[in-house]
Amino acid sequence: MKKVNLFYILSLLFVAVSCNDAIEIDQPGRLDEDAAFQTVDDLQAGLFGVYNRLDITPEIAFTSVFTDELAIGFDSGGQGLQDYGFTLNAGSITPSAIWTRSYAAINAANRLIRAADLITPEDGEQAEYNSILGQAYAIRAYQHFRLQSFFTTDLTDDSALGVIAVDFVPTIDQELLRNTNGEVFSLITADLDMAQSLITTQDDPIYISQDFVKALRARMAAYRENYAVAGPLAEELLNKYGLATQEEYEDIWVDESNAEIIFKLERTIGDYYDFQARAGLPGTGSPGRVGWAGAAFAFVGPGVDGSPYFEMGRSLFNLLDTADVRYEALVHPSSVVDPDYASGEGAETNDILVVDKYPGSEGRPLMNDLKVFRSAEMLLILAEARAAAGDINGESGSTASLIKRLRDARFDDDTALPVYANQTEAFGAILDERRIELAFEGHRYLDLKRMGERGNRGVLKDPVDCAFNNACSLPATDYRFTFPLPIVEFNANPGLREQQNPGY
Amino acid sequence: MKKRLNGILTLLLVFLVQLTFAQERTVTGTVVDDTGLPLPGVNIIIEGTNSGTQTDFDGRYSIRANANNVLVFTFVGYASEEIPVGGNSTINVTLDVDAAALDEVVVQGYRTSTKEKSNIASVTISSQSIENRPNANFVQTLSGQVAGLNISTSSGQPGAASNINLRGVTSINGNTQPLFIIDGIPVDEGNFRSLNPQDIASVSVLKDAGATAIYGNRGANGVIIIETRQGSFNAPLKLTATSILSFNTLQDADYDLMNSQEQLELTRTFGNGRGNNLTDAEIAEATTTEWLDVFFRTGITRNNTLSLSAGGDKSTAFTSLGFFETEGILKGSDLKRFNFRNNITGRSDNEKFNYGTSVSINYSKSNEPNSVGTGGINQNFVLGAYQSAPYISPDDYTSGAELVQGISFLNTPLFLMDKLMNFTRFDEELKILASANAGYKLTNDLSVNATLSSDYTNEIFTTADRSDSFNAILFGGGANPLAGFQAQQTTRIFTFNQVTSLNYNKNFGEHTLDAGVYAEYFKAHLRGFGYTADGIDLKTFSPGDGAGFVDDNSDNDFFADQANAIQRNAGLFSYFGQVDYDYATRYGITGTVRRDASYRFAESNKWGTFYSVAARWNISNEDFMDNSIFDVLKLRASYGTAGNQTISGSSYFSAPDLTRNFFGTGGGYAGQNSIFLSQIANNTLRWETVTQANVGIDFEVFDRRLRGSVDGYVKETTDLFQSTPISAINAVTLLNANTGTLSNTGVDVSLKYDVIRGGQKGFNMDVMFNGNYNKQELGDIPREDGELIGTGRNGGKLFEYYTIRYAGVNPANGNLLFLTADGDVTENPNADTDRVWLDKNIFPDYNGGFGLNMSYGGFFLNTQFNYVMGVDRYDFDLAGFQSPNNIAQFRNSRDIARAWTPDNRVTDIPALRATNLSAVGSDQYLRNADFLRLRFASFGYAVPADVIENIGISSLRVFANGENLFTLSEWRGFDAEALNNTSRIYPTPRIISVGVEFGL
Repeated sequence: MKKVNLFYILSLLFVAVSCNDAIEIDQPGRLDEDAAFQTVDDLQAGLFGVYNRLDITPEIAFTSVFTDELAIGFDSGGQGLQDYGFTLNAGSITPSAIWTRSYAAINAANRLIRAADLITPEDGEQAEYNSILGQAYAIRAYQHFRLQSFFTTDLTDDSALGVIAVDFVPTIDQELLRNTNGEVFSLITADLDMAQSLITTQDDPIYISQDFVKALRARMAAYRENYAVAGPLAEELLNKYGLATQEEYEDIWVDESNAEIIFKLERTIGDYYDFQARAGLPGTGSPGRVGWAGAAFAFVGPGVDGSPYFEMGRSLFNLLDTADVRYEALVHPSSVVDPDYASGEGAETNDILVVDKYPGSEGRPLMNDLKVFRSAEMLLILAEARAAAGDINGESGSTASLIKRLRDARFDDDTALPVYANQTEAFGAILDERRIELAFEGHRYLDLKRMGERGNRGVLKDPVDCAFNNACSLPATDYRFTFPLPIVEFNANPGLREQQNPGY
Repeated sequence: MKKRLNGILTLLLVFLVQLTFAQERTVTGTVVDDTGLPLPGVNIIIEGTNSGTQTDFDGRYSIRANANNVLVFTFVGYASEEIPVGGNSTINVTLDVDAAALDEVVVQGYRTSTKEKSNIASVTISSQSIENRPNANFVQTLSGQVAGLNISTSSGQPGAASNINLRGVTSINGNTQPLFIIDGIPVDEGNFRSLNPQDIASVSVLKDAGATAIYGNRGANGVIIIETRQGSFNAPLKLTATSILSFNTLQDADYDLMNSQEQLELTRTFGNGRGNNLTDAEIAEATTTEWLDVFFRTGITRNNTLSLSAGGDKSTAFTSLGFFETEGILKGSDLKRFNFRNNITGRSDNEKFNYGTSVSINYSKSNEPNSVGTGGINQNFVLGAYQSAPYISPDDYTSGAELVQGISFLNTPLFLMDKLMNFTRFDEELKILASANAGYKLTNDLSVNATLSSDYTNEIFTTADRSDSFNAILFGGGANPLAGFQAQQTTRIFTFNQVTSLNYNKNFGEHTLDAGVYAEYFKAHLRGFGYTADGIDLKTFSPGDGAGFVDDNSDNDFFADQANAIQRNAGLFSYFGQVDYDYATRYGITGTVRRDASYRFAESNKWGTFYSVAARWNISNEDFMDNSIFDVLKLRASYGTAGNQTISGSSYFSAPDLTRNFFGTGGGYAGQNSIFLSQIANNTLRWETVTQANVGIDFEVFDRRLRGSVDGYVKETTDLFQSTPISAINAVTLLNANTGTLSNTGVDVSLKYDVIRGGQKGFNMDVMFNGNYNKQELGDIPREDGELIGTGRNGGKLFEYYTIRYAGVNPANGNLLFLTADGDVTENPNADTDRVWLDKNIFPDYNGGFGLNMSYGGFFLNTQFNYVMGVDRYDFDLAGFQSPNNIAQFRNSRDIARAWTPDNRVTDIPALRATNLSAVGSDQYLRNADFLRLRFASFGYAVPADVIENIGISSLRVFANGENLFTLSEWRGFDAEALNNTSRIYPTPRIISVGVEFGL
């Protein structure tokens, strides 16, 4: 009896002393916000986290499929057919990917800026602290500008609807409506001014520097047709970085040369993007995929054996000259070129043009750094500024002279000075040159949107590439050159439906 | 020594024999039931000894006994008789049906009651309905046997977890499966593959709040209590052996797939694909490969169980050994299992103290193909089986290295053949379930009890790919010829549960009071670690072993291995009380109150209180019912609450601290270590509460021929924990929060009718039916318009489909037609605003089972049909078979031959070159998946005792049974049952078994 009573008391005791350990449990490895950022070094680590949010693979993939850079590959399993057929609506993946991920980057930047506010740098840390903060502002500007480029109908109209300007850490119940372009651009400009005043590095290929800020200002001014700003900035950067030699140019695309590079996003083995397609996100063939840039066109590797599900479109290929170094950079040597591709048996499959812009690096197939700003783009922005000013022909200071300068470098030869009949033709020539120079770098969709009408260009595929779906051309004035606001945002923020872009 | 011992034993034996011979004589007789029919198999034991015998087939027995002995006659379902031998040499006995035995014990949670005195809605299934069925996971066996319990299995992987819902789904994001308790041990409901169903004695399903409130924040989805077999006190050793052999095959589909000629002709018509470049003669020559036969097989299952039970005066023991081995119908999938169980009970001389222990050790190893359900053409065997082009032949396969040269989707089946040979993925699990309980009667009325239990699961998961496999070469590239890998993940989960109670039980004349106070403590610990080793040298490699690992080197980073580790802890603490009062077995009422604390809400709403009240009126025990047709008529009612703290998935460890903002550290930009936001806090988190009202009637009429119960219930979950859309400016688009309500209203009906009662040897037939109707309704959705896309709308069903309505094919041009939100026909609907609610979802409105059981002499035939109504699923397999995108690379259905052409304008298949194919999501492939299935049929013969007693065995049964024998459904796929909208999944098999069971 006594023994059993003891047993009873003991078990009650056991319960009484141990109940708290069942409920008050701290899981290991948890980091609270106040512990996360305590020093300038923490801020630096936080900044690397913010950088990690930057990606331009969605626009590279979407632009190439939606415009006239690609054709369906011989190893296609039906990937991307909707985008290839100009199907774009509020349920499409790319608008959703660019919307949500840009805002995620902005959110991360805002959190870092807020955290920095609570930290007082110690002696000797002020410059580093400033630089970190400056880069965060620059990223916030860059991502707002990315959103603006895709989601506003007219970049030149300050009263048109822009995106939601977010320069604070939002609370989860906020449902905000769109700001005007004027409001968003003034936020971007203010952020760039802050960045310029804080950043100490003049140039750096993989981190944000003073030159990044200049390049972003130049591109933004060009997009807004503010050429008085765009021209001088582009010229300054072009003069500083120059153009690559033939050898350097080929090395750019295997990440062994930083010639012409003002800024690129570093991609390396083991990083967040080191996947064919990161699990749990859209798979290979979707522009919403997160992974190697080259996997936007092929499943496993460069060349014919890499299982390309997209190939270079014939209309782009036909613009290339084999003497042009850009031919080497764009077309994989294992490609099978059929001169009679347009006629004859098996026309669709006999001609295999494999995209080679992202062959891989560091021994990893299809993984390459993402080139964001190159001096060649600055040259073409300057050419645009000249054209807008009416300086289209002539041996110097003209659109024609700049195009010649680019071609001379690419052909390693003294090419003929072009002559344009009028301004439209000059803009058209700039678009054509951009199409080759910036192919598969995510530019063509936005270029047609903003300049297509001025240059009398639109999406135009070779008839062979679109025989199966009859989706061969799309004028630059089409409503689909502005993205729809994505459904995923309406689900949380139904008031925005009233502000959907026209056509959707 | 040995010799001497033998000598002593012999002496002893002689002495004993002489002693007994001196006083014993033979007693014979016949045992019959109250209708005069002989009862075979009645146990006759001489009281106070272990010697005894059984009646034969004609009810006759013969036993040696002396005049002082008392013979005890016992038989299941009958009242036992004790008859002194005295001077009789013939003792004939009539056994009466035992009312108390029929009044079976009803499990009430932490205590038991009788069927008459139970106030709760529950169903108990005996071992007879579970044993000898070939399902690796016993839960699948319960399907269709309990009204309101809907079980669906979406994978044919042996031992795969099933989806278990009792009276509808009560949670959106959290756990929706009932709490399972085996011998007092709360166990993970997702994992029964290691347990041996043959050990189960009974399964009790507790349904209403009266029953579940005592489980507090774990009882919201109902409770299923499993008790394993025990020995009986004073019973001779009984040995039972069972051996079952099963054949598993693929169920049928109705996709009507093309042969090679048809498929090649189609590629030609389409102008893309292999047939394009072939002549008529070449097409005619092509052979057709049925890839289903290459990737699926007839799997064989062997199931052997040996059990021993015995009991003395102070203790009982039950021991079982099981070995189970099954091949899945999909090649590369199987399960092997070894089980050992030992259940012991004991009691003190004065019977004041009693205790029991239950220990089972279970080990299983299963091969599990991965990527099933995905579109991975080099990963998913099921995709290869369903979709591969028929004109590709297995003979085309040479090697992985060769396949990499010029990759083509057409080679899908060859990639997968390669994977089948080179890829290994298996899961080894050791599961030890142990519990101990002890009770001591402090006084006649007051007792103290404790139950301690633990569930230990250790899982080692191994994945390996050889370096010469297609996938390794493909992803490794030529630069890295040793690109194979092995990954191993070890997960150990230990849970400990303790319930301590003080119980009071007292009769005051017609009044009975049963009260208890309890404290419960639960703690769970997860430890996991693993690695991925890239680089495999085949010369020394064997899956699971590391001899062939290639070390990291300075040339590249391919061989840098990766390690991971995780620690999580979880806990609950509760105290509660229950009072049960009965008056003359006519009126009863039970009240329960429970306070619970969960570690998940430690910083928001730590404690929750749940309660219930349940009452009954045994109408048939009233005097005025004396001459009524009702043998039993009981009215029950209950109301109460239960909580759900498992708000995210079913794991103890998921979402452990959502109340806090967290940052993480890890790889950032350009390989730099970084700090980033990893969780946005929800500091208002609380448990979901399920409030349930239940009214039920139990009845037995016509001399107990018709038995059954009808229950109506209303269940409402409040504070639903669910994904709520938030603006993308927060860096995420969904955040979990407690919002909205979900109600399930329905009826459970269980009926059994003895059509013919022929007695022990005659013809017997009974029919049974159980069914559930359940209606779901969402409410209080936190949106202005009362709609939450993905979840549903106010007043609508859970996960109601919200999409664009497909309206057929435009006869003018072969394009797809859709309906706008207003119902107008269009070719170009608005992907956002033309979506509408379809009033359909994937959960059934009606489900249940019915069956017919017959027996004659030793023969028996049992059948069980299951039905499900109101299920709508997407048939994306069909979408693929009808898709023009698949023509050149895969296999199509003959349906596509009906595609629109200018000469065939009125059709249900769009033109092959329709310009708006897959432009928007629509309900084009949403299909009705209602079905009626012969879930189970069993036919067998129990050999009469008089035939087998000569060969020294006491019972012998042979049987054959079948699972999923046929299905009637509009669903065209391989398995109508899967509760899943994914295509290319692993269907459950059809199983035919033969078995033998004998006892010694």
